[in-house]
Amino acid sequence: MKPDLKVKIAGVEFANPLMTASGCCGYGEELAEIFPLSKLGALVSKSITLNPRLGHPPPRTAETTSGMLNAIGLANVGIDKFVEDKVPFLKKQKTKIIVNVAGSKLEEYVEVCSRLNDIECVDMIELNISCPNVDEGGMEFGADPTMTEKSLKAVKKVFNRPIIAKLSPNVTSIVQIAKAAEQGGADAFSVINTLLGMVVDAETWHTKITNNKGGLSGPAIKPVALQMVHAVYSNSSLPIIGIGGIRSTADVIEFLLCGATAVQIGTGLFIDPMLIVKIEKELTQYMKRKKCNSIYDLIGKVRKY
Amino acid sequence: MIKPTCEDTFLLKKRNLKNNYYSFTFKPYAPVKKCKPGHFLQLQLPNSDVYFRRPFSIASVDNDGSIEIIFKIFGEGTALLAQLEKGDKVNLLGPLGVPFKFPKKNEQTIIIAGGVGFPPLMYLAVEMIAKGYDPKSIHFFYGGRTTDDIIEKPRLKKLGVNFYPVTEDGSFGAKGLVTKPVEEFIKSSNAKMRIFSCGPTGMLKAADAIGLKYNIPGQLSLEAPMPCGFGICLGCVKEKTDGTHARVCCDGPVFEIGEIVL
Repeated sequence: MKPDLKVKIAGVEFANPLMTASGCCGYGEELAEIFPLSKLGALVSKSITLNPRLGHPPPRTAETTSGMLNAIGLANVGIDKFVEDKVPFLKKQKTKIIVNVAGSKLEEYVEVCSRLNDIECVDMIELNISCPNVDEGGMEFGADPTMTEKSLKAVKKVFNRPIIAKLSPNVTSIVQIAKAAEQGGADAFSVINTLLGMVVDAETWHTKITNNKGGLSGPAIKPVALQMVHAVYSNSSLPIIGIGGIRSTADVIEFLLCGATAVQIGTGLFIDPMLIVKIEKELTQYMKRKKCNSIYDLIGKVRKY
Repeated sequence: MIKPTCEDTFLLKKRNLKNNYYSFTFKPYAPVKKCKPGHFLQLQLPNSDVYFRRPFSIASVDNDGSIEIIFKIFGEGTALLAQLEKGDKVNLLGPLGVPFKFPKKNEQTIIIAGGVGFPPLMYLAVEMIAKGYDPKSIHFFYGGRTTDDIIEKPRLKKLGVNFYPVTEDGSFGAKGLVTKPVEEFIKSSNAKMRIFSCGPTGMLKAADAIGLKYNIPGQLSLEAPMPCGFGICLGCVKEKTDGTHARVCCDGPVFEIGEIVL
């Protein structure tokens, strides 16, 4: 029997647990040139803000040991252009669409979410309360439990489908923030956004990106992400989407074992745009070999000492 | 955008051209027929700690399914690349980017190459001649710091183009910066011209300024570190003169003169 890759998060069914990570696939157009997006469990869009944003001046990425630092600065087309130019394309894709929403003020989050409520093809919103790369908003919302709860409550009022809270690792207790988001009405969690970092050139004494600090992603952060997924899983019954440095099928399995119901792949796509297609194939083979009929046979099944 | 192909290939031929300059030919590479001058490849080093792919412009292709890149050891990635030996496997993603637009047949082609900016321009000259352009309508200005930075001279000479080598120390060809004889040539001629340039930023800036000053259209091929190479990461952007950002990888790497803030 062919193993079943389907998973369900807050009532939404996904063909498989493999999603793109926000900010790592634009609005899907470029990736669709390389493989059919129907191969994805879901496409997660770049963060959408109320107004268009150019982002930080270049250079805004730097390579690190087993990863990368970025401070793109939420460059995006803004909600008007997103609805006008990008939604017609997304509507045609045979995959679930999750739109990531960011803002610098609570009213902005609310406005964007309320606009998205009218767009039928948007299956879910992922609330970016964890972007480390903007001066205002982003991480501010997700670093304080009271603000987290307030934000979730506000957007839940205007968007009638599930909302995922994307959590920051740059906090003292991610569990405390997760609980606040749950209190505010979050339907699921994305764990984790990037880790705050800095890259310096020993020869020139210069930081390598114009924002000086940025978000670290890639294989370097996987152990941090696995621990945080497991911590949230152990303290909440809401489904978790695991994110952080995935570049192989084994990495996906590790996230599932630690409690993730699905995963997002970001930086890994830069190196191998076919990564998700490859993992989908290998995941089936792995499940056959381990005699798992469903993804649920793996979720949270990590064996601890 | 042409649909890029991601596939494994092998190092067929390795040539150490001069000091730190290498020519690598890979085979098989199925998408050769889709490749055009100005396109580039994202090369993944096997089993290395270098995390990103590395972009290389295409130096030549052969219909037998082989593809050539030319590079200079510059950093960690190219140092590791230079250690590969014949038969070693690499993964190539490509062809990527926007290629050069060929000049009109009645135009004189002014090529301004600097250092490792040479490969895509040689490819352009080769393809132009194959398409019936007169080699004598191509003026190949090629600058380097010393004679060691002027590579593949016999190959260029064989093409029959007008070859103007320039070195900063005068060890080969004229002495000084390459853009100086370019400007003199432009001033001395009334012909319709088009500029194509690739090389260090300072040289591109000068080429851009010459194009604007003498009202000569043309294209510049830019370089930038690229986490992805096909438009999804927004990491390689440059500022455009209209204030917006352009992705070097897929809005370029070839841009019009006057389009980018250099």
